Amino acid sequence: MKQSVMIKGNTYGITVVLDPELPFSQLKEEVAAKFQESSGFFKNARMALAFEGKELDSAEQMEMVSAITANSSIQVLCVVDSDKEKEEIFRSKAEMVQSAEYNPGLFYKGTLRGGQVVESENNIVILGDVNPGGKVIAKGSIIVLGALKGNAYAGISGNEKAFVAALDMAAMQIRIGDTIARCEDGREGNEDPVPKIAFVENGNIYVETICKEVLNDINFA
Amino acid sequence: MSEVIVVTSGKGGVGKTTTSANVGTGLAMLNKKVVLIDTDIGLRNLDVVMGLENRIVYNLVDVVEGNCRMKQALIKDKRYDNLFLLPSAQTRDKSAVSPEQMKKLTDELREEYDYIILDCPAGIEQGFKNAISGADRALIVTTPEVSAIRDADRIIGLLEANGIHKIDLIINRIRMDLVRRGDMMSNDDVIEILAVSLIGAVPDDENIVIASNQGEPLVGNSSAAGQAYMNIVRRVLGEEVPYLDLDSGSGFFSRLLKRMGLN
Repeated sequence: MKQSVMIKGNTYGITVVLDPELPFSQLKEEVAAKFQESSGFFKNARMALAFEGKELDSAEQMEMVSAITANSSIQVLCVVDSDKEKEEIFRSKAEMVQSAEYNPGLFYKGTLRGGQVVESENNIVILGDVNPGGKVIAKGSIIVLGALKGNAYAGISGNEKAFVAALDMAAMQIRIGDTIARCEDGREGNEDPVPKIAFVENGNIYVETICKEVLNDINFA
Repeated sequence: MSEVIVVTSGKGGVGKTTTSANVGTGLAMLNKKVVLIDTDIGLRNLDVVMGLENRIVYNLVDVVEGNCRMKQALIKDKRYDNLFLLPSAQTRDKSAVSPEQMKKLTDELREEYDYIILDCPAGIEQGFKNAISGADRALIVTTPEVSAIRDADRIIGLLEANGIHKIDLIINRIRMDLVRRGDMMSNDDVIEILAVSLIGAVPDDENIVIASNQGEPLVGNSSAAGQAYMNIVRRVLGEEVPYLDLDSGSGFFSRLLKRMGLN
């Protein structure tokens, strides 16, 4: 038997598929019956609702929603439109706003000296050295195109997928997320510096020479 | 066009006062009208190094507070008529003067002098802020030691933050025998860390101690340090002067020349 009303669910809400052949009044009754049946299953879930199969105008949507809430204890948060045209407009507008706010990070040119701090909500690229006592703090990752001899705190909001890379890695302290590593005692700079990258794996900070294999293995957000 | 130069280092005991005395005297030797200001209020000693301690009547704080006129406080040097010293007060402290007052004072001196050299106290507190407030350029003095370099780095950052971008480095008390053995940082090492231009390196020379104790700056005499200071003075004036061969062997010097584009 063909169902005139079908309920499909996902994590965030449910889609009610309506048979386009049937008149609205009948569909409403069917929906009411269906939700009454399954009210024990949904309990007082809060969810978004979408209708498919038949175009409903605003008044009909309202009637449908009240039929559902009357026959179950579901709280309908919103009705999602399945109108393709509208969706396209919403999408383009939303992306426009996002791209205006989209800020991949911060460039700092020059030597970051003792006592100086560079901070960003995103990633930071330092075009120069970070001297002892200098601090780079980022919610994202940190790249130093020079010698990193100071402190670098990446992923400070707890992002363990952030990384710290430097052409000459001689950091006093590296923090990634909540993991901290400090340099060995008594170590004095690098004789022949090679570019290195620091990342977190299994709760430890690893510092590796940058090569294809290492970069392939790293997964960052 | 007069220029206000602050001689600073962050760390104490690296040779700010000696450098101020020698650079100031050297500029006077080359017929510039120079005034040296000791901004280390409470711990004055530029007057001692200059051998002018016995002539002090009024001081910097007296001028700022209006107890005397500028002319009364300025001490004329015993060797050069165009060299003057404004000594600091011994019985007061740094808070006796504000950065605004220092700026006003240096601006007043600009009208009559070619070079105003400010001997800055150690540290980064009030005394430092006072000293840099009126400065156009800075000479950073450091020794090739990690602690002095750390402080110099910090100072350079503070100078840049305060809008002083003409910064030159003097590496003091370098010992080539130690550098050769790898027991002391070379000029190149220091420049690489601090990333500022070198204006001169002064060898560790016992004549400096003797000259300081006698109150006679040794700039321009035949000693290694005297020569090195004279070269710094010429470079302050904008001349291109080749670097002294501190190292009788090769290596460091030729590398340095190459670095400076003089070779």
